Amino acid sequence: MNGESVVFWVSGTFAVVGALGMVVSKKAVHSALWVAFAMVNIAVLYFALEAPFLGTTQIIVYTGAVMMLFLFVLMIVGVDSSDSLLETIKGQRLLASLFALTFGGVIVASIASTLSSPSAGLAIANAGYGGHLQAIGFLVFGTYLFAFEALSALLITAALGAMVLAHNERWTPRKTQDQLQKERTFSNHVTPLPAPGVLARNNSVDTPALLPDGTTSIESLPNAFRGEGQVSKSNSIEEAGK
Amino acid sequence: MKVSVEYQALAPIIILLASGVLSVLVEAFIPRTLRRPIQLMLVLASIVLAFAYVVINATAELAGDPLVNGGQVKGLRELAASGSIAIDGPGMVIQGIILLISFVAALLLAERQIDPQGDAFASRSSTLPGSEDERQFTAQGWLQTEIWPLYLFCVGGLLLFPVSNDFLTMFVALEVFSLPLYLIASMARRRRLLSQEAALKYFILGAFSSAFFLFGAALIYAATSSVNFSTVAVAMENSSQDGLIIPGIGMIAVGLLFKVGAVPFHQWVPDVYQGSPTPLTAFMSAATKVAAFGALLRVFYVAFGGMRWDWRPMMWVVAVLSMVIGSLLAVTQTDMKRMLAFSSVAHTGFILLGVISTSAAGLSSTLFYLLAYGFTSVGVFAIVGLVRDASGEATHLSQWAGLGKKSPWIATIFALFLLALAGIPLTSGFTGKFAVFTAAIDGGATPLVIVAVVASAVAAFFYARVIVLMFFTEPPVDGPSVVVPSALTTVAIGTSAAFTVLLGIAPQPVLDLVINAGLFIR
Repeated sequence: MNGESVVFWVSGTFAVVGALGMVVSKKAVHSALWVAFAMVNIAVLYFALEAPFLGTTQIIVYTGAVMMLFLFVLMIVGVDSSDSLLETIKGQRLLASLFALTFGGVIVASIASTLSSPSAGLAIANAGYGGHLQAIGFLVFGTYLFAFEALSALLITAALGAMVLAHNERWTPRKTQDQLQKERTFSNHVTPLPAPGVLARNNSVDTPALLPDGTTSIESLPNAFRGEGQVSKSNSIEEAGK
Repeated sequence: MKVSVEYQALAPIIILLASGVLSVLVEAFIPRTLRRPIQLMLVLASIVLAFAYVVINATAELAGDPLVNGGQVKGLRELAASGSIAIDGPGMVIQGIILLISFVAALLLAERQIDPQGDAFASRSSTLPGSEDERQFTAQGWLQTEIWPLYLFCVGGLLLFPVSNDFLTMFVALEVFSLPLYLIASMARRRRLLSQEAALKYFILGAFSSAFFLFGAALIYAATSSVNFSTVAVAMENSSQDGLIIPGIGMIAVGLLFKVGAVPFHQWVPDVYQGSPTPLTAFMSAATKVAAFGALLRVFYVAFGGMRWDWRPMMWVVAVLSMVIGSLLAVTQTDMKRMLAFSSVAHTGFILLGVISTSAAGLSSTLFYLLAYGFTSVGVFAIVGLVRDASGEATHLSQWAGLGKKSPWIATIFALFLLALAGIPLTSGFTGKFAVFTAAIDGGATPLVIVAVVASAVAAFFYARVIVLMFFTEPPVDGPSVVVPSALTTVAIGTSAAFTVLLGIAPQPVLDLVINAGLFIR
């Protein structure tokens, strides 16, 4: 067993554990952390396969940017719903596991039968280009130039789609400062509304603020979190003190 | 090494994608009231221009390979963009079919007279269904004109998909056309929750199937050190790594069969066809199926052609299941859109017969079937969108009772489409089925053809049931009525009906065209 196969078996196992952990975790934050763990291990595999550029990109883009963005959003917004474990179709989980295991078994057995041939390495693939980076550069901006350009359509679609699904325009005229001032003066809250979160315990925006008299303030939450069933966290003083 | 981009050969794809970008700019800079006409003109113009380029490319006099086409060198036949795209006869025929269908479907998407509130799409799809925002935007007559750039990107991706000559480009094309479809599917004006659920289902299952495709491509790459179809084909003949190749072929087949909607990867079809805005269903059931079959043909003829003894049994099973399950489940449906969705699954099984025969006749008959089925399908869903009551489309079968007495014209045209779907002589469906079945028998798939004929008979039953329901039963008292559409939908239905009749009584010019298209370039 040489060094490369040791790295493969260790990192490969960790990557699979990370992927499984992502699926079985009930909390979104834990899932995101498991994915980050799997991504780092896949990056290690890239390094072991003589692809330092891919390994670095994997860490910077996936682990560093995408997953951390996920974590930030999850922690700031505090979305913390756990999955419902109710089976809507009877026996679905059993059947699904059966099929998944059969399928996985067939694939693993089939691929394992070809493992005897030694790994070719990247030396041959890189030979014509004068190096790993040059080879990737040529493939992206040469051979697969058209696919690379077509990806821009995909990115524009994604941006446009996000706008279409999430961006709402106003259909009422914007209120003037004068109107806003009057509304505030005649409302029950002349002072600014309390800020969400309880420093001692939970600081995300879906946690209602604790007022000096011990009650929680629904008005501290953004509109999106005020709905029925969305204010799940209780913040009594006793709990906050724990 | 040389990097080459053959602009003329790639012009149709580039035109569509570039107009998509232009269309986004229109959204950004043009005042709201002017957007719809400008977008519509942009979409129709770019589709016409792209079609013109397909025709120019297909008839170009070029000094190419004299062995191709028996010495008749006509039409572009080249590997473009450093070999990652193959512009050849069948590829251009499929591009032409996609563009024709896209043009007609664009007319349906633009229709604004059927629904008194506007077009078929939500006024703002970002509003919550049933909310005050939604009510206000609808009352003010807002239109979601962003569907047009999405539509253009989708058509661009569809054009790229069947001419991709390697798995990487094909995967990118798959995503480019799928993403806009997921988005537009969620934007129905009526029954918005159903539409959003359909889109989510389509998105999640589509992501799974893309992952299968990618995994398959990785296994093929591991076995052959290439993703290019012709290189893969050569490397497979000399390879002993069946342990990688067979699962690789299977997984790529899963990805592609999902897109064509074959059993057992069909679960999304009825839900998505039912939930999506009906003009999009018309487009999706026709253009997406054509493009996906084009890609399926290219992959299984060019890359996996030498392995046909390995993948044929699998395809036999899928074809039989699609035909049988599609036809049987269609009989049990009570919703018009779901019934047509299952009928589309059954048709996928019929078209797979052409793929299985792996011959020149199989290829040309599949191309013909795709053109015939595509137009019939667009027409059928266009009419489904016309039968409405106060709450929107009346898709329950019982609501269609006696429609022939209230609106004889529309009911007659609908019956024509149904007869074509059933494959009755003198309609395009018969010619298509006949061509595909003949090719399959020559290719040694006689048992499959027997199953197909029996499945066609079962299918004829539920098509005939609708016709009987429309013409020989009394209309219910508070039944739906057929809305008089604007010229847009009328032209779309007329074109579809014309193709359905012409391909039935005079199919020879088109048959000659698909036979002369020749084989895939390697």
